[in-house]
Amino acid sequence: MTLQNIPLMKAMSAKMNYLEKRQAVIAQNIANADTPDYRARDLSKVDFGSVLKDVVKTDRVRMTATHAGHMPPPGQVETAKEGKQKITYEVAPAGNAVIMEEQMIKATETNMEYTLLTNLMRKQSGMIRTALGRGQ
Amino acid sequence: MADDSIFGAMTTSAYGMRAQGERTRVIAENIANADTAAGTPNEEPYSRKVITFKNEMDRQHGQRLVKVADISDDKKKDFPLKYMPDHPGANAEGYVKMPNVSMLIEMTDMREAQRSYEANLGMIEQSRSMALRTIDMLR
Repeated sequence: MTLQNIPLMKAMSAKMNYLEKRQAVIAQNIANADTPDYRARDLSKVDFGSVLKDVVKTDRVRMTATHAGHMPPPGQVETAKEGKQKITYEVAPAGNAVIMEEQMIKATETNMEYTLLTNLMRKQSGMIRTALGRGQ
Repeated sequence: MADDSIFGAMTTSAYGMRAQGERTRVIAENIANADTAAGTPNEEPYSRKVITFKNEMDRQHGQRLVKVADISDDKKKDFPLKYMPDHPGANAEGYVKMPNVSMLIEMTDMREAQRSYEANLGMIEQSRSMALRTIDMLR
């Protein structure tokens, strides 16, 4: 058994993965804040809670998604899709649609969620350690 | 390095900073040459340089990075004429062609470059703290 088999851990690490990816996308947007015709990009929202709904039935056999186009079977985290942001505040005359403030808010949001998840993960492993009788 | 890792994000921001740094250099060149007039009547004075960026795939890093697309002369703005009959570059009427550099525009551009540079720096700072927090979980 690995920690990945615990649904909560799986959901959390999937979310952390997602946040890392999103951070990279936002970094890309900010770096291109002055590139003509560049449109801001973002990741699609992913429901990580759906993984947890399956907690009680973990002994089922599942199919593996080996391609990005595969529909994720229940209990598996779907992969986020990257795409151009459709609604932006404004588009500059040069065709650039990166709003620095908007991106900054997104970056802070990502960072905060990441902090939350690292703390949650630490708590979780602390609980496992307590269960093992080693305390924190 | 994978494109979607935290380090990939840091590379992106670093290249963004590099592009903005280059932009600052071009602006400095423009300001330094704001008075580089034509030496002779048939000669052209210093022409303001404009820099453009592009987002291009970098094979070495395996991800898209900001690069300087082109540094070219600003051909859209005419050279202003200044009345200086003593100048060696003066024409028959006593006018000298001056560079098409506007201090106000350069200063605004400089501020913008500075802001973008700081924004990229902020992103590096945030990505770094995320990476450090992950490493911290090992403790």
